[in-house]
Amino acid sequence: MTDESGAELWKAHQSAFDRVRAVAVTVSEPKSADWIAEQAHVAGNTARDHLQRLVEMNVLRTATGGTATRYEPDPLYTRMQALRDLLDNRTRDDLLELRGDLQEQVEEWQTEYDADSPSGLRKRAAHADTAEATREMRRTANDWDIIAYRLQLVEDAIEHYSDYAGSTPAPA
Amino acid sequence: MFAFDGGYDSGQASHTVLLELRGTIERHPAVQHASGEPPGQFIRVVATLDPAILGSNADEGTLTLRWYAGEAADADPEFALHYSESSGFDCGWHHEPNPHIDRRAHYQARLSADDEYEYEAVSFDSFQPVPLLWGILDRLETRLTER
Repeated sequence: MTDESGAELWKAHQSAFDRVRAVAVTVSEPKSADWIAEQAHVAGNTARDHLQRLVEMNVLRTATGGTATRYEPDPLYTRMQALRDLLDNRTRDDLLELRGDLQEQVEEWQTEYDADSPSGLRKRAAHADTAEATREMRRTANDWDIIAYRLQLVEDAIEHYSDYAGSTPAPA
Repeated sequence: MFAFDGGYDSGQASHTVLLELRGTIERHPAVQHASGEPPGQFIRVVATLDPAILGSNADEGTLTLRWYAGEAADADPEFALHYSESSGFDCGWHHEPNPHIDRRAHYQARLSADDEYEYEAVSFDSFQPVPLLWGILDRLETRLTER
């Protein structure tokens, strides 16, 4: 089995536009249209057209510097997508409860590993007694990084709940 | 991925990937439902599958996706895309340190939870999460069909 048949499977179920978007919004560093085209299995010109549209939609932005135009996710779009997911089917009370759960999880790790941050835990992981313990601690550190980001998102969603949810105060 | 202040945030980068993986995997015909788990925490994506479409006789199957984008923007990701089914069999494609095998990129499988995993080194064409996931869905179908 080659990954070429994986590409065919992907092409059968997601459009060229969706494939370009999926690749472009998940890059960690700005990338050229040709690079994105190769990853998304589309022609260079097709990628350029779709990327241009995604820039106009504020999903992507172009990076300054360098010779060829490079694309990166628009941080506002990334933030909005994450907030949208968080706000779906959640009331402000749900968010307050979630904040409590996430804080509790972080405190649990802090106590269990005697570390105050994911990077602190990674340092401890390097000196763990067994390879298995190292692996477990590194995985937890990775989860912790994600939880820390979620916590920051939840704080944002709680603070701006009425703006983001579009709820208006009940009439007097 | 870029945090609001322009710096790299590994939590944000990882979570953005997980959101995309949840969206794209639902396009696969074998996938009935995908969600961020545990609810609210969203540190992994769990997809419920119809194993028959992937060539397995099992009644139920799930695919669990873990993704960590790396401590720096130019670091390779760590991930585990792991399938398990009601027959007891589970297998997965991982890219992370594992004491049982030298290679970060490996496939591991066992017939039941009582068995030891068997490992084999593998390679990935791309570390781009979405194309990588489709490549692995394709490899999974091959493994289950040829079992």
